[in-house]
Amino acid sequence: MTEAKQLKTTALHSSHLTHDANMAEFGGYDMPLWYPSGTKAEHLAVISRAGLFDTSHMAVLTLEGRGAFELLQHSYTRDLLHCQGKSNTPLSEGSSVYGLFLRSDGTVLDDAIIGQLGAERYMIVVNSSMGAAVSAHLRELSEGGVTITDYTDELGKIDLQGPASARILHSLLSDPEQVLADMGYFTFKGDIFPGGSTALRLKDGTSVVLSRTGYTGEFGFELFAEKADILHLWDTLLGAGEPYGLLPCGLAARDSLRAGAMLPLSHQDIGDWLFGHTPWSFVLPWDQKGDGWTKTFIGGEQLLQGKRDYTYGFAGYDPRKITISSSSEVQDGHGTPIGIILTCTTDMAIGRVGEHIFSIATAISKGRPDSFQARGLSCGFVRVGRPCEPGEKVLLVEGKRKLTVEIRKNIRPDRTARAPMARMRNR
Amino acid sequence: MKEIDELNLPGDIYYSKEHEWAAKEGDIIRIGISDYAQDQLGDIVFVELPETGSSFERDEEFGTLESVKAVSEIYLPVSGEIVAVNSELEDAPELLNEDPYANWIVEVRPTDIDQYDELLSKDDYVAMLKG
Repeated sequence: MTEAKQLKTTALHSSHLTHDANMAEFGGYDMPLWYPSGTKAEHLAVISRAGLFDTSHMAVLTLEGRGAFELLQHSYTRDLLHCQGKSNTPLSEGSSVYGLFLRSDGTVLDDAIIGQLGAERYMIVVNSSMGAAVSAHLRELSEGGVTITDYTDELGKIDLQGPASARILHSLLSDPEQVLADMGYFTFKGDIFPGGSTALRLKDGTSVVLSRTGYTGEFGFELFAEKADILHLWDTLLGAGEPYGLLPCGLAARDSLRAGAMLPLSHQDIGDWLFGHTPWSFVLPWDQKGDGWTKTFIGGEQLLQGKRDYTYGFAGYDPRKITISSSSEVQDGHGTPIGIILTCTTDMAIGRVGEHIFSIATAISKGRPDSFQARGLSCGFVRVGRPCEPGEKVLLVEGKRKLTVEIRKNIRPDRTARAPMARMRNR
Repeated sequence: MKEIDELNLPGDIYYSKEHEWAAKEGDIIRIGISDYAQDQLGDIVFVELPETGSSFERDEEFGTLESVKAVSEIYLPVSGEIVAVNSELEDAPELLNEDPYANWIVEVRPTDIDQYDELLSKDDYVAMLKG
């Protein structure tokens, strides 16, 4: 028997238990893996309608004071002067950006979404149980003048994800037109932190940060609120979503959705090794020539000089997976070991017709056959010691079990995360 | 997840430590997974079945079940030859979640019928689950 660990719980814990969620430990918290409707139904709901996730285990920090900008320029992989939109404009109030905190040896401490609350005021969202480590890292690099506060235990976070998300929110906002109309991908509204002046309140008075971000690859929002408001907010969203087929979703669906969307899980797909050639190279501040950085930052020099390996997405040919263990590996077509498996799950919304991958969300006009039925495909990430080309077949091996999978630039097609707001509000 | 007293565990069949069930039908034994197993796995999305005519020893892996999260081996509770597989599961693996008893996985012609009587009764199985 393993010793019972003292797990943390979110403000929604008793609600999860009341609703018969299958619970498990994740990141030091007792979290729902799935609800009675099951992982597959939850995954498909987010693709075709909407799903609601308790993500209160994520850590939320603020960084403020003179020197906050300089500290992030020094510690974060994104160049905050050149990170927004296609024209690489500076991060501005109400916008956020995804990047990494590296250690001085170029390994990944954690990934983070940083939102600008105001001049020299930022909110930083990092992974479960990482609030203390990232705070300590920033304090160590700070030259004073800034305040770093960990709000994780005072706040909660709920993700509303899926194409119906804006229509579900619409009924809860007193002025939906004003709030939603101009909300682009990676922008947010509201400020629930001390000193904030731009409150966003729902009709019922609940103060929230509403952010057009998420971890599913689909259109949607993350909502941050005071811990005391979270249960009410959850129930309100579930009620408003009922006519749209909104389902509460657990971490299993969150994992399969993010893998199909080519999003990394920190400490699994990126982590305690030199950040290599990955599908997420956009997080680095590449200069115009593409061989150096636009700024100096912690870990940057080590990335340029160290031996960086290669991380790729893959998709299989049916739902079969490989269990990741100390003996699982990736082999090339000749059976030579070339690396390890980082993530292997099943995206239940996709399937192949011949070699081509379709999603249940693919329009008929874009070639999805009328008779298409998604049986699900295994997918995830591998880390290998040599470059691979998209389309190359590799073997995932564990014991006597072998699966052929294809190296891919993209896994689940026709995702909606970046879809124009106007289209998603009127669908 | 279901509490042990919420599980559907018929009293007229036998169970294995690996959470398969076995039911004698004449000189054939039907094999499936228990309600506990399907509840723990969650949505089953793929079933890998053995070839009809293949033989396995007791406790040998004869196939796999896949949930979205994990791969689980299934073990034959009695030695024998596979005489039939439930190929309906290939197109509809979720049947194992819907009714794990009506939806058997394989039928076995046992080489030693005494092994059947060595399996766990419902009461023994419940006692094992309660640890």
